[in-house]
Amino acid sequence: MSDARPEDDGDAEGAPPHRTRSRSVQLDSERRQGTPYTESQVIMPTVKIVAPFAFTYGLFITFHGSGSPGGGFQGGAIMAAVVFMIAFAFGIEATRDWLANTVVVALAVGGALAFAGIGLVPVARGGAFLQYDLLPIPVKYGLESVEIFGIAAIVSGVLMGLFFLLANGFNSDEGGFGDDDAESDDEERDEPDTPDAGRTTVADGGER
Amino acid sequence: MTGSTLAAPIVAQITAIEASLLAFVVLTALATALARDVLAAVIVFGAYSLGMAALYTFYRAPDVALTEAAISAGVTTVLLVLTLAKTTRIDHDVAFESVNLPAVGAVGLLFGGLLLTMGDVPAVGSPDAPVWSNPDVSQWYLSESYAQTGVENTVMAVLAAFRGFDTFGEAVVVFAGGIAALIVLHREVFA
Repeated sequence: MSDARPEDDGDAEGAPPHRTRSRSVQLDSERRQGTPYTESQVIMPTVKIVAPFAFTYGLFITFHGSGSPGGGFQGGAIMAAVVFMIAFAFGIEATRDWLANTVVVALAVGGALAFAGIGLVPVARGGAFLQYDLLPIPVKYGLESVEIFGIAAIVSGVLMGLFFLLANGFNSDEGGFGDDDAESDDEERDEPDTPDAGRTTVADGGER
Repeated sequence: MTGSTLAAPIVAQITAIEASLLAFVVLTALATALARDVLAAVIVFGAYSLGMAALYTFYRAPDVALTEAAISAGVTTVLLVLTLAKTTRIDHDVAFESVNLPAVGAVGLLFGGLLLTMGDVPAVGSPDAPVWSNPDVSQWYLSESYAQTGVENTVMAVLAAFRGFDTFGEAVVVFAGGIAALIVLHREVFA
């Protein structure tokens, strides 16, 4: 990563104006990670009130997919969106700790296995894959169990996983946008103090 | 949606609210394409998706509308904003990109070509539309799905039963997408 910076400096003359001033300084996210999470008096109570209803709505859409519009995909997405909402209101890191990795992985993997398992039961009984009338339950409940335990679990698990992944960004070990960059930026940042401070306020003004 | 009523849907007239929704969708789509600031484009794109969701409800596709609202307006916007938070925000003097004339010409040609075919497209909700009147596909599903699966929602009956193996493939694709994101980001845990 250290050999990337001379390149950037070389680019500086020919590059468009926004690249010359923004590339070699700290990213918004790095600055934001330095500042502690601030609680919003508007967002937190709103989410507290809305989240239970939204989660119930997601469950309703999932469980009533057979009789009304919706199904596992839509319901799973809504339930994952409730987790996003909670994460935005109460801090992504706190939500990450609350919702352990095992829950997210269990939802995604368990959903895929449940779908395949429900599909394979009729095969074991001498039928075709997902031949619902060979399941020991009525056909309607066979469809619903696929929607609930299969699709809804996969979709909500994967969407939550993507959310937490994107909130984290690259892992630093392999050199992405991770710590390597941050450290080299830190070294550089210590020297020119004044332009950095000026830029920060400009970026902040644009931010809010 | 209820398998019992098989009467053809009423031929739709363009109402004022429908026309305004269409205009809203077109305007937000243009704004998404032309917005100079990426965050503004993402926000307008979310509004576009919400307009599309409302439009789908008008065209009596509530399942598609729910998906559009949940995935496109909700989840995608959140994920895009989260990604943008990892980048630097650039101050722009102008709100919109300058229009690229060759691109406009190419899009205009394509649009004009598509517009020429509009005469042969059946009216929205027309009982003679092949997608509705086809006795081997649409009508067969509408008459058979409840009898064979006991499920009132034909969309779900088709997705989970008649096309169950395809849906299994789609679900596995979603699962594989999550795994691929882990691999690309060099991580071993989601949370």
